Amino acid sequence: MEGKYTLETFAEELNLSRQSALNRLSRLKKQGYAQVSGGGKQKRIYTISKVPQLPTNGFYDLVNKYSPEKLVPKFKHRVIGKYTVEQAIIDGIKIGDVRTLAATEHLFRHINSWKQLFYLAKKHKVAEKIHQLYKQARAHTKTKTMPKRYRK
Amino acid sequence: MIETKDQEELFKLIANYLKRDIVCIAIGGTAMMFAGYKTATKDIDLVFKSEQDRQVFVKAIELLGYKERSLARIYDEKRRQHFHKPKIYTRGDERFDLFVKNVFGFELEFALDKITQRQDFLGKKEFNVYILPTEELILLKAITGRDRDYEDIETILMIEKNINWEHIISEAVKQKSSNPWILIDLEETLHKVKKIAFIPNKYFEMIYQTDEKN
Repeated sequence: MEGKYTLETFAEELNLSRQSALNRLSRLKKQGYAQVSGGGKQKRIYTISKVPQLPTNGFYDLVNKYSPEKLVPKFKHRVIGKYTVEQAIIDGIKIGDVRTLAATEHLFRHINSWKQLFYLAKKHKVAEKIHQLYKQARAHTKTKTMPKRYRK
Repeated sequence: MIETKDQEELFKLIANYLKRDIVCIAIGGTAMMFAGYKTATKDIDLVFKSEQDRQVFVKAIELLGYKERSLARIYDEKRRQHFHKPKIYTRGDERFDLFVKNVFGFELEFALDKITQRQDFLGKKEFNVYILPTEELILLKAITGRDRDYEDIETILMIEKNINWEHIISEAVKQKSSNPWILIDLEETLHKVKKIAFIPNKYFEMIYQTDEKN
C-alpha cells in the first residue's frame, strides 16, 4: 500500500467509495502513516508510508520556506522547542555543501537578532564563515545590513 | 517502558538540566521509535562523543532521580568485561544505557552525512539526537546480544523489505579490527533472521571469506 496516491487512485486500489476513501486517508493522516501535499487549485497527493512519519520542522523546512533554491533533505530534521533563522544559518554552514550554502544565503534577509547569530557563531566556531556567507548573500540577494559592530 | 511522546518530553526536560549543549546518537529501541518502527521501549540507548559529554548527561539525569545500576543480568559476561561497556542508569521502569563513541567495539561517526534523522531538543541547553540508517541499527542490534534485540531486528524486517545486506556486512568488516567477534555475532544473527527474511547465500560467503582472510 506504500506510495503516492490521489483520492481517486486510493479509492480504486482499495475498492472503496470516494467518501470511505477520504475517511480512511483522514485516519491514516492522523496516525502519521499518510502525508498530504497540494490542496486548493492543486490536486491533493497522499504519500503513504509503512511506518508512521513524524512531521519535520527543522532546517530544511525553514530553508525551503524562505529560499527560492529548494533543497532535498539529507536527513529528517525535527525540533522540539523554538528553532530560529539564526540557528538555521549555523546549521546550514555546518552541513556545508555548495547547494546548502547557496540556499542558506537567503536566510540573512529574515534575521531577527544579529546578536543571537553571532553568539551562536562564536559558540560553534563559525564566525569567519558567517562573514563569508554574508558577503556572498549581499552580492546575490537583497539582504538586511549587518550592524557595524559585527562587521570585521 | 517509555512511549514515543513520553520519551520526547523526557529529552526536553533533560535539555533543561544540561550544563552545556551535547550531541549523541540514539541506537536500539530509541532509534527505532524515532524511525517509527515501534511505539515503546524499555531501554534508551545513547552514544556520546566523549566521556565529558556523557558526564554532563549523567549529571542531568541524576538530578532527575536516575541511579547507576550494575550491568549484571542485562549483558552477558563477555560484554560486561568489554572496555567499551555502557553505564546504566535507571528510575522505575525506564533505563538509560550510555555508551561513549563505541558500542562494544563498534565505533560510531558523528557526521551529519552519516545520519538519516536529527532530533533537536531545545531547552535551556541544546540536546541533539542523531539517528542512524536502518542497516546500522540492525548491525548494532546484532552485536549487543540481548534477546530483545533480536526481536527488534525481526520487527524491522517485517516492515522493511529492502535491506542493504551488503552495506551491513561491509560495515561489520570495517569494524573487525576493533571488534574481533563482530562477524561471528553477525553471522549468528543472520542465520536466525534467515527464518523470516530472504538473505542470499552470497552474503554468508562474504562473511566467511573475510573471516578466512584474517
